[in-house]
Amino acid sequence: MTAARQDSRRKGGLRRKLGTAARLVAALALAGGVYTAFAPSSQADDTPKQPLSAAAQHGQQLYDTSCISCHGRNAEGVKDRGPSLIGVGSAAVEFQVTTGRMPMGRQEAQAQRKPPKFDDTQAKQIGQYIQELGGGPQLPDGNLRKGDLAAGGELYRVNCSSCHGFSAGGGALSSGKFAPSLKPATDRQIYAAMLTGPQNMPVFGDNQLTPQEKMDIIAYVQNMKSDQDPGGWNIGALGPTTEGLAIFLIGITSLLFATLWIAGKS
Amino acid sequence: MSSTDTEREAPEFDPDDPKLTRFDLVREGARRDGVEIVHYEPRFQQPGSKEEKRVVRFVALCFAIVGLAALAFIVAYVAWPWQYKAGSNINKWYTPVLGLTLGLALLFIGIAIITWAKKLMPEEVSVERRHDGASPDVERKMTAATALSMVDELGIKRRPLLKGAVALGLAPVGVAAIMPLGALIKNHKSDLLTTAWKKGVRLMHDDGTLVRPEDVSAGGQITVFPAIPEGNSNKYADSPTLLIHLRADDAATTRDNALPINKGAQWQNYVAYSKICTHAGCPASLYEQQTNRLLCPCHQSQFDITNNARPIFGPATRRLPQLPITVDNDGYFVATSDYKVPIGPGFWERP
Amino acid sequence: MKRPNFNPKEAPAQVADWADQRLAGASPLRKLFNKVFPDHWSFMLGEIALYSFIVLLLTGTFLAFFFTPSSAEVVYHGSYVPLQGIKMSQAYASSLNLSFDVRGGLVLRQIHHWAALLFMAAIVVHMLRTFFTGAFRRPRELNWMVGFLLFWIGFLEGFAGYSLPDDALSGTGLRIADAIMLSIPVIGTWVSFAVFGGEFPGGDRIFSLLYIGHVFLIPGIILALITVHMALLVKQKHTQWPGPGRTEHNVVGHRMFPGFAAKGGGFFMIVFGVLALLGGLVQINPIWLFGPYKAAVVSSASQPDWYVMFLDGSTRLMPPWEIRIHLFNHGYTVPPVFWPTVVLPGIMVMLGLLYPFLEQRFMKDKAHHNLLQRPRDVPLRAGLGAMAVAFWVVLTLSGGNDVIAQKFDISLNAMTWAGRIGILIIPPLAYYLTYRLCLGLQQHDREVLAHGVETGIIKRLPNGQFVEVHQPLAEPDEHGHTELPYRGWVVPKKMNRIGAIGPAVKGFFVPVEKPEEAAPVSPAPKREEITSGRK
Repeated sequence: MTAARQDSRRKGGLRRKLGTAARLVAALALAGGVYTAFAPSSQADDTPKQPLSAAAQHGQQLYDTSCISCHGRNAEGVKDRGPSLIGVGSAAVEFQVTTGRMPMGRQEAQAQRKPPKFDDTQAKQIGQYIQELGGGPQLPDGNLRKGDLAAGGELYRVNCSSCHGFSAGGGALSSGKFAPSLKPATDRQIYAAMLTGPQNMPVFGDNQLTPQEKMDIIAYVQNMKSDQDPGGWNIGALGPTTEGLAIFLIGITSLLFATLWIAGKS
Repeated sequence: MSSTDTEREAPEFDPDDPKLTRFDLVREGARRDGVEIVHYEPRFQQPGSKEEKRVVRFVALCFAIVGLAALAFIVAYVAWPWQYKAGSNINKWYTPVLGLTLGLALLFIGIAIITWAKKLMPEEVSVERRHDGASPDVERKMTAATALSMVDELGIKRRPLLKGAVALGLAPVGVAAIMPLGALIKNHKSDLLTTAWKKGVRLMHDDGTLVRPEDVSAGGQITVFPAIPEGNSNKYADSPTLLIHLRADDAATTRDNALPINKGAQWQNYVAYSKICTHAGCPASLYEQQTNRLLCPCHQSQFDITNNARPIFGPATRRLPQLPITVDNDGYFVATSDYKVPIGPGFWERP
Repeated sequence: MKRPNFNPKEAPAQVADWADQRLAGASPLRKLFNKVFPDHWSFMLGEIALYSFIVLLLTGTFLAFFFTPSSAEVVYHGSYVPLQGIKMSQAYASSLNLSFDVRGGLVLRQIHHWAALLFMAAIVVHMLRTFFTGAFRRPRELNWMVGFLLFWIGFLEGFAGYSLPDDALSGTGLRIADAIMLSIPVIGTWVSFAVFGGEFPGGDRIFSLLYIGHVFLIPGIILALITVHMALLVKQKHTQWPGPGRTEHNVVGHRMFPGFAAKGGGFFMIVFGVLALLGGLVQINPIWLFGPYKAAVVSSASQPDWYVMFLDGSTRLMPPWEIRIHLFNHGYTVPPVFWPTVVLPGIMVMLGLLYPFLEQRFMKDKAHHNLLQRPRDVPLRAGLGAMAVAFWVVLTLSGGNDVIAQKFDISLNAMTWAGRIGILIIPPLAYYLTYRLCLGLQQHDREVLAHGVETGIIKRLPNGQFVEVHQPLAEPDEHGHTELPYRGWVVPKKMNRIGAIGPAVKGFFVPVEKPEEAAPVSPAPKREEITSGRK
């Protein structure tokens, strides 16, 4: 593939993205208020702004096309549309953008995971922009999985399983909200979620779960996901509900056919 | 096969009569048991027909599969690597392979036997007479008399002293027999009313470290235990507590809403509620930090944290008790008293 | 020394002779061999439960070799890495060892658990068959009661087994069981303290009780009740469907030996085979994911096994109604848990046990019955049964309403309200619909008996009207009438059922008709089910 063609494709992609963004802006403007997704956990500091780094400038461009309609100029928030992003940090941005929750399509009980609109690099750039605007929690680099499985398991069961379930399949919360399944979550997303407490998830800051403890939990969760079930097909690992369904759908049904065969005329 | 339609007496029946076939004996035996074999014929009109051979081959094939599967089970049981190894590996197939081989072996025994019974054994319809209803009147009367004669023989009616003595003597024995169960009974007076918390007991994490205010971010919650030996064990199953760091405005609302019993229980923006649901005792710990609701996963009771943890949905009727907390001179959270009301599910004597 | 002559061909005869000399068993044994059992698929449902129970005994014995019912704290050093170094009870540690460090332990544990679920499911399905066909009527009221009690005792047995491994799910279940005990007025706290030996979780007491109950007391009771159940069945003989030659005073079927016994033995192997396949291929109760029970630990979607789920559902649907009583300057509480978990099951047990007598009284039918009724012929009973099933299904679904809410994106609160409203309107609706359905089916039977089977042949009359030709089921009598009386028998509704268009050839769900033989319309009397019995 030639460089020229690649270039034109990139332009096409950009145009498509701009088109999507424009439609999104219109949709959001019509929809009115947008559910509060970010909540500031500290105030903007008043120190004079440093000039933005190169990455942050890229991020600003992306921000100005896709996020500005709801979160406002300089991420100060727009009343009834989107909260201020000052102080949420790059961790929150990375979580929301790489899981596809942001930009938000429509207002729902809670933002859903969907295919991300930006790739990881772009998400990091937007994150960098927000970080340089107002500071806030940041994700560490490197391997986030180097933890102790057993310790992670203990922490997981005390802090996480009540909502996300023993097998990380997620669970229902009140009035249509839910704790999502951790099956598609990456190390960085899990870390960011703990660090920033997106939407109704409680915050587990570094003061509460140390970075090592977070890595323990990530190690446990990712190990659980990659560990093949020793007992056969796990029928969703949803506990006794699906097991009860299975005994009727598989056990009783197959044996009913057996009785029909045994008692049938030969 | 039609001569059996009528009842016939067979006084001259001789089991050693050489003219009788074995089936004649079977039929006569059944007849004496009240069973008429009204229809009995082989499945195949001429023995050794193509159809019959096909069925025989099928049954034989089933047993061959049984043998192979059972053999595979034995080999797998002994030789398959079975120790737990993390990840995806051949060891993880140990259980499925055992189930599959054993299951197939058993299943094909069943299929073989039933095919044999259905397709190879003679077709038959038998009719058995029922003898429903009560026993003959004479029988009943004699049995009743036999039973009642016991009373006569004991003569208990004529000997009132014995009647009284038996009653008085045996009644305590009956009670004595269930006495050992009394060992199970345990006095419970105040156990349900108190927990391990009391004035001066510090809060600790699950790992035993003490809790400082800066350990919980705004919008965060942690499970805390009384900082006493084994405080986080099931010995103190009534004591797990949820420490929540509210946002400033939510904390203000909470303070404004505080009932008299909960006045002063809050320390700055921190509140601590019993983690044990007041409905059925599960840990109510699904905390939604934006709506400030706490959900119990067992029966979906929902509690409003900013309003004294009042139940707002589901079957729970009582608020989660609030643990009064403060921060001591060393900067650690400490309880200022036990819960003001009993924690956990309701019970009859709950004051 | 010379060994005595041994002729293997005569050995069985010699053994039989030896035994009969001492026991005189020839004639009772032959009577047993000759016992006639009717053959119908619906009569084999109880067998599934019986065979599951045998599998439970076999696998359970194996599990008991390795399980330690103790709450003593140990540190896990088994081969399951994510729990190594964790403190846990010996009960949980031995359950983990059973799963990971005993060769073939996991497959037997899983077969045991699936067999427990199947045991209860088969009991329910068998009970429904007995109910809807009226098999519980006099003289079988006693056997109905025994069977009905078996469900509830199986329920206790299953719950004890679910609680034994002391994983977080077991502990949560026990915590709720404690809350249920506590909710009983006056004696509640005494019951709870007697069972747990103190405030929950108490310590070893509960494991001693659960263990001796689960492996000895309750299985003993189940075994005794199954024996009574079988003995009554043999004594009273099986019911049968009405049909040609079948009366209240006979049993038409196969003799027990050899055909029926062979089929039963084969079916046992099939049940065991299905359970082994499930146990190996489908994972059940992965206790290693739940972790040890700790009072502060819980998971979303914490459910009991399916046969307890209706209680969980009733508890979830219960409105927050608490009763406070003030007596002698002391308040007393009746918690909301009491009604759905103590009173409701109490009513269910009593209604179920007494149903045969209630029906006798209500329908004024105290006669002996050995012939079954089709559900359509007793719309009232079918309706009541449907109502009970609907009630139970709403409760059971509510027991899993959080999983349904999560998987189908429904609000959890909406699910609870749907259950609360559903429990009030769906059972009566089920009653009404079933009642109408029964009447409709009866009506159609009567039409076919009066006018015959639809042939699918359309005839045009001289006046231009189109009518479908019906094949009457009986020869016309001297007045030309072909009506048959309604007898509650199966009425053939298709031409190939009365042998008119050739026999159905192989086809699992729908009979496939042989097209080339689909010619003669005169019924072959040999295959005609409705007329061959009346002469």
